[in-house]
Parts: sequence; C-alpha cells; structure tokens
Amino acid sequence: MASKLLRQTLTKTKPTNVIRRFSTAAAIASPSEYEDPTGITMKGVKIAGRPLYLDMQATSPVDPRVLDSMLPYYLSRYGNPHSRTHLYGWESETAVETARAQVATLIGASPKEIIFTSGATESNNISIKGVMHFYKDKKRHVITTQTEHKCVLDSCRHLQQEGFEVTYLPVGSDGLIDLDRLRKEIRPDTGLVSVMTVNNEIGVVQPIEEIGKICKEFNVPFHTDAAQALAKIKIDVDKWNVSLMSLSGHKIYGPKGVGALYMRRRPRIRVEPQMNGGGQERGIRSGTVPTPLVVGMGAACELALKEMEYDEKRIKRLQERLLNGIREKIDGVVVNGSMDRRYVGNLNLSFAYVEGESLLMGLKEVAVSSGSACTSASLEPSYVLRALGVDEDMAHTSIRFGIGRFTTEEEIDRAVELTVKQVEKLREMSPLYEMVKEGIDIKQIHWAQH
Amino acid sequence: MAASGVAAPTRAEVLQLYRSLLRVARQFCDYNVREYTKRRTIDAFRDKKNLTDPSQLFAAFSDGKAQLEVAKRQAIVYSLYAPKVKSIMDIKPS
Repeated sequence: MASKLLRQTLTKTKPTNVIRRFSTAAAIASPSEYEDPTGITMKGVKIAGRPLYLDMQATSPVDPRVLDSMLPYYLSRYGNPHSRTHLYGWESETAVETARAQVATLIGASPKEIIFTSGATESNNISIKGVMHFYKDKKRHVITTQTEHKCVLDSCRHLQQEGFEVTYLPVGSDGLIDLDRLRKEIRPDTGLVSVMTVNNEIGVVQPIEEIGKICKEFNVPFHTDAAQALAKIKIDVDKWNVSLMSLSGHKIYGPKGVGALYMRRRPRIRVEPQMNGGGQERGIRSGTVPTPLVVGMGAACELALKEMEYDEKRIKRLQERLLNGIREKIDGVVVNGSMDRRYVGNLNLSFAYVEGESLLMGLKEVAVSSGSACTSASLEPSYVLRALGVDEDMAHTSIRFGIGRFTTEEEIDRAVELTVKQVEKLREMSPLYEMVKEGIDIKQIHWAQH
Repeated sequence: MAASGVAAPTRAEVLQLYRSLLRVARQFCDYNVREYTKRRTIDAFRDKKNLTDPSQLFAAFSDGKAQLEVAKRQAIVYSLYAPKVKSIMDIKPS
C-alpha cells in the first residue's frame, strides 16, 4: 500500500482518488492569490518565478533532514514533555532531552546548562534584564557595543530607564571593538559585558576569546549573542569563558520559533526569570517546551556538527566567486567591515554613486536585503553602518548577500549578473557618476543655490 | 548480499546506493534541495572513496542508507506542498 502511494505521488500518472485527495489538501495549504502559471505578482512587481534566496542572515530554509526529524512529533508523538504519567509525555521528554544534548555538544557545554526559549531575542532579554535585575543591589553598570542586535540595545535602553548605566562601546571602521577601551570601561559595579559573536549585518567576528579573558580577569559575567555564529564557526564556551550565550534555531537550517540560552554552572550565573509559571526549564523559562521545534533545533545542531567543515569550505569559495565576479565588472565596490575577521557567508557591499532603494527595486529576482530585516522598514540608514563610520550615501546603497548551505554556483553567477546589470544601468543614468568619470571631485563641489 | 555483523558492503551495493541517492535527488521539486542532495552525495562518496577499514565502511554505508530513507520521504513531502511557480533558476530563459 505504501509503495503504491509512493509510486503514484512520485510519477503522477492519472489522477486517482489518492492523488485527488492529496491535491485538494495541497490547494488549501498554499495561497494562490498572487501565484499564477505565468509568474508571481506581488506589491506591483511581476517576476517569472520564485527569487533566488541570498538572505541567509535573515533566516535559512529548513533542512529536509531537520523536517524529517520534526514531523513525527506533529503526527503521532504529540505529547507534552511535562506530562509524567503516560507514554506520550515520556517519549516527548526523551526527545527534548536528546535535543538538549545535541545543542550542548555543538557548543561544548553540558546539557544541564541549556535552556530552551522562543528564540535568540528572548534569550537576549533573559540574559541582559534577568542578570541585571538579579544583581541589582551591587551591580549597576552594563557594557555593550554600538553594533549589537536591536533586542540587546532595546533591553539596555529599558535598563537605562530603570536607572542602570549602560556604556555603548564604539567600533572601528572594520567593525571590531577596541579591547583596551573595553578594559578601561570596566568598573567595580559592572554587572555584564555583552558583545555579539558574529554581526548579522556586516558579518564581522569579534575577538570573543580575548574579551572572555578580560572579563575573567575582572570577574565580570560575559554574555554573547551567538545566533549568527552557531553552526558557522567553532564555539567552545570554556575556551571563550562565556557565562551566557543566546542561540537561535532558524539561522541554522532549523525551525523558526525556537532558540536556546546557555547558562554557565561553574561558576554559576543567576538570572531573574522573565517568564513566570510552572517552573519548567529549571524555573528560568516557564511554559510548555515545544517538542517538535526543540527536536528540530537539536537535529539542526547535530547536522551542523557533521557538515560545518564542508559547508564552510564551500561557502568561502562561493563568497570569493561573488566578490570577484562583481569586482571584475564594476568599480567603486566597498566591502563593509573587516575582510579578515569575517564569517564567510555574509558579504555586505556598498556601491558608490548608486541609490540603494532603486538598486533593490531592480533586484527583484534576487532575495537580498539592505540593512537588517529588523530595520529595513524605516528609512534611515542602518545604525551598524553608521557606527562603522560609513558615509550616508554609501550606507544607503549597501546590500547584504547571505550565502548558505543550499546556495549553488549558478545562483551566485546569476546574482552577479543581475547586480552588475542593475548597477551599470543606474550609474549610466547618474549625473554624479558622469562628473566623477570626468575627474571632478564631488566632495569639493560647492552647490550654489538658484 | 545483506551484511550481517560488521561486514563491509560490496562494490555493487555501494554503487546501487549512489545511484538511488542521485535518483531521489532528481525527484525533489525544490531547486536548492535538489542541487544540494546531488552535490552532497557526489562529494560524500568521493570523500570516502579510499576507506578500507570494514567497520568504517559499514558505518558509512548504513549512514548512507538511512539518508536515502530520509530523502525518499522528504521528496514526497516536498512534492505535496510544491509551490505553483517554480524557482527562477528552474525557469529556462525564453
């Protein structure tokens, strides 16, 4: 019976009852208001097919192997892991504990130190607000950087409103913080240092090991947001001397809606819980643990352990292909952020003499982003690029290419071709570019009023 | 024939596994997953071409067989929910 179903679905010969039943279900599942056989029309733009995806920092597709591990927990093993009295609860709990061990192995921790949350944003909130509220009598100061993720900056602002003091460390033009400056800013009442490992917009990797050494010297807890770093670079919480680490599921080819928080046990770091309730997850994060999502995150972590080396080599080749491909055809391309201390899958480019919005509008067949997904709704240029000291006009034309496990050479070549075509078209129309080609220095022009 | 204990797979079995994986890769309707499965199979088999230790060979072969089962299931799931419009990489330029 199963093999007959398999054969029919895969070969799709004549529509039998089986196929008709499946296809009706599929029609309910997929929206068809904007898809028709000739292409997709959405927001006034018509494209022939689904765009090629180069936005891996925003989110990543779920790996089929991860999906395969999650499905049984939606179909037959749907128990609540906190039910102690029947098989459904027991098998669900076993699955959660297996996933916990898988996540712990990837970062070099013990399973007892992993708490599952709803994502890296929640983990960041627990780390920053939770730690400071717990130690609020003795510690009133937090150190973080100007290029952190919005959730970290917003939590710090919330703490400032409550009366804590926050220092935002500036970054150099390569995106890295100054370690001496960090050392100077640490005070006796510093309760937390929070520096993200890999920046989501520009992809630079901060010197986490050195920062960990400084924090150990001064005995200050160290929190790092490793949402973009997990499964991409080697993480070792003991070598880095990290007390808290935020992890995210959907950046590592896992499901959205799940993340984890690593909390060191030796020496123990205490936090005040942000979600109160039945005391699940060691009292740090109450609420039913979503078994399928957690199983998916665990499977993604286990996969990452096996595939990290292979993926990194490949993605490095693809990044060079992308950068060289674009640089061969056009000039005035600037890479934002340090080229050496960078995660290979993130390439943030600025194109001189080109306007950002129009560039993005012409690149509808490539799914890329400018700035980060959280800030692309507003019109102001990304605060990360501003912190790097990038000029306003260059900050507006920045595009972030995200390369991942599933990106192919052909996609990179097509992206290069489309980007180059669009940039050349816009530059041709640009009077500023004409002046630059004639040798006039734009910055010296005195724009007279009429 | 079927390996019992820690017996290494025969050349014919390995080739059959390789061909089955490539065949299942072709059945994915999603461009990226299809290309990935194909590429990963070729690279993984090439990587392990020179293994000689029977227990390692057996482990790699069983791992490959398990991945084949996963791929077969997922090929069906992906085809059930295939979007009406394909990826732009699958559409030949007219």
